[in-house]
Amino acid sequence: MFEFFKLSRQILGMNARNLDYIRPFNRARAKKLADNKLLSKKILAKNEISVPKLIAKIRTVEELENFDWQTLPEGFALKPNRGFGGEGILVVYGKKKNRTDAWIKADRSIITTEDLKAHIRNILDGSFSLSGTPDIAFFEERLQLLKLFKPYSYKGIPDIRVIVFNKVPLMAMLRLPTKSSEGKANLQQGAIGVGIDIATGTTTTAVLGKNRIIEYIPGTRLLLSGIKLPYWNDVLKLAVRAQEISGLGFLGADIAIDKINGPTIIELNARPGLSIQVANLSGLKERLKKAAGIKIKTVEKGIRVGKDLFGGEIEEELEEISGKKVIGTVEKVKLIGKDGKEIETEARIDTGAGISAIDKNLAKELGFGEAVKIWEDFHLDRVLTEEEIKTLSQNEIWKELEKHPDIVGVAKTFSSHGATYRIEIRLSIIIDNQEITSKLSIANREGLTYSILVGRRDLRKFLIDVNKAN
Amino acid sequence: MQTSPIIDFFLGQGVPFATVILILMLPIIATFIAFLRQVVGIKAFGIYAPLIVTFAFLATNGLKYGIAIFVTVIFSGMLMRFVLKPFRLLYLPRVAIMLTAVAMLILGILVIGGEFKRTGLAAVSIFPILIMITIVEKFVAVQIEKGDWAAIKLAIETLIISIVGFFIASSSTLIHFLALYPWIVFLTIPINIILGKWTGLRISEYIRFRKIMRHL
Repeated sequence: MFEFFKLSRQILGMNARNLDYIRPFNRARAKKLADNKLLSKKILAKNEISVPKLIAKIRTVEELENFDWQTLPEGFALKPNRGFGGEGILVVYGKKKNRTDAWIKADRSIITTEDLKAHIRNILDGSFSLSGTPDIAFFEERLQLLKLFKPYSYKGIPDIRVIVFNKVPLMAMLRLPTKSSEGKANLQQGAIGVGIDIATGTTTTAVLGKNRIIEYIPGTRLLLSGIKLPYWNDVLKLAVRAQEISGLGFLGADIAIDKINGPTIIELNARPGLSIQVANLSGLKERLKKAAGIKIKTVEKGIRVGKDLFGGEIEEELEEISGKKVIGTVEKVKLIGKDGKEIETEARIDTGAGISAIDKNLAKELGFGEAVKIWEDFHLDRVLTEEEIKTLSQNEIWKELEKHPDIVGVAKTFSSHGATYRIEIRLSIIIDNQEITSKLSIANREGLTYSILVGRRDLRKFLIDVNKAN
Repeated sequence: MQTSPIIDFFLGQGVPFATVILILMLPIIATFIAFLRQVVGIKAFGIYAPLIVTFAFLATNGLKYGIAIFVTVIFSGMLMRFVLKPFRLLYLPRVAIMLTAVAMLILGILVIGGEFKRTGLAAVSIFPILIMITIVEKFVAVQIEKGDWAAIKLAIETLIISIVGFFIASSSTLIHFLALYPWIVFLTIPINIILGKWTGLRISEYIRFRKIMRHL
């Protein structure tokens, strides 16, 4: 119990955030800047920070009536200047063909000029601004989704939230829009937050919404950990620079990676949320305390300190010394089957097994359907008795099996579950960027979590760390 | 009932006893709500809404009628949001329509209450009813800002706080104590100073972050 309270002191709560960090470090002027999107855009751009380009702004109803809709480009984002939580943002992807007064939204639905006007009137009236004060609407260029993020995000652009304090990047998270968040990258609305290792920019653990820890994107086999984010150093640099310019001592910078312009600041946040701690399974308070006492002059120093203090570095060092890669007991692998067919999945790394094994269904998907069929035709996809195995060996059944070019061998295995008579196929496995040509036995792994198991024979280039979470 | 000299003075000046006690209750309930927010982590709709609803409950004769009216207000607020959504109205006119709908519904409920000989409901004085109708604006604001689910959650929290507040404020022990020692309301100031400087985790945050704790 005592231990529990001691550990809880590493976590930043709402009370401490407001009283110890926002109040003393985010002065009223800086907060005003962060809450005003147009102003922060202007000031950041002046300091040569990449921001989405402003297309037009509408301040009054007259301006709205006189607005020339033909000046808008194909795609754009319409935002309220003082919006909060991603509310009131409308993203348009293209013009409707053969029409001058209609556009297409992210969900392929059509939006007309009249709809846009009604939306802008709502913005002007303050429907989306806190306390309902009148607001300004503006159009800015639409950011383009990076190819890397395509499978991970639903109808929207993921962004990276970086918490910066005392010029040190403390913690970061990748926010992925989901169906339930309606394409918005906001955790409160049901987006996914993925923790990021500050040192390498590789994703670690993930949370769905405010509190559900997940490993995969729900409903898919897409693993959320191990995604290497591009331009990581630039992202950190941008976040720290934004802090310098904005004067927000405790800043949450939202950075998107645009296909053309690279890392771009989309928003500054003077009251960053606390869920980033759940996404990273780590406490912010501890990090804030560590970063507080250090005197930092340059952006580069701040980034270096952040990486050294808060990044996962031990692993890298070990890899340097042994020359071997450190992997966990479950690893993401890429399988290259027949005709270059690639499948990415998770594998159980098992030093207790000699030969690697693959599920028959996965083998079929990789183009070994025929081999599996032959094996099944002989009724070998089941647990056999030792007698049966003996008879099979005496009948030299392997000669029959090995007639097929895909079957490179047979393997008899005896385990606590019973004996099996398996065929072996050859394919390439890529583990942590290392390609291994392996002979795998086909097994019936239905009902097991991982459809592939990598055994000792294919693990010579690796060290296995049982504590390593994938 | 024993009363302190200062209370006697108030009574002597013609201030009703119930009024004096209600006013003295206000800082205590307010402090209670502040405590729930800062230490327990129950948010509700700020401090004003649960406070005013507590007093509305005190003013309705019987808690059940107060709760019935509150639930009706929130329920119709929710319903009207869906009804009004396709019209895309500006904020204030939309809230005005909602208030109209809520008011009509409450009137209907009073009539139905009369029909079923629930005279207690119809006898509820108008001010607590009006107070609770205005809660709908708070509800709508949260709906826009944080979504339906958050608004419902906060409404339930407000209701719970108000019910507990009702029991605190109508506890005869506390009323007697206040009549005897009215000065203790000033104790709420140092308590609030402590609450205002409290930087520890809220109880709700221990729950919210429990998964992190396992990994530290």
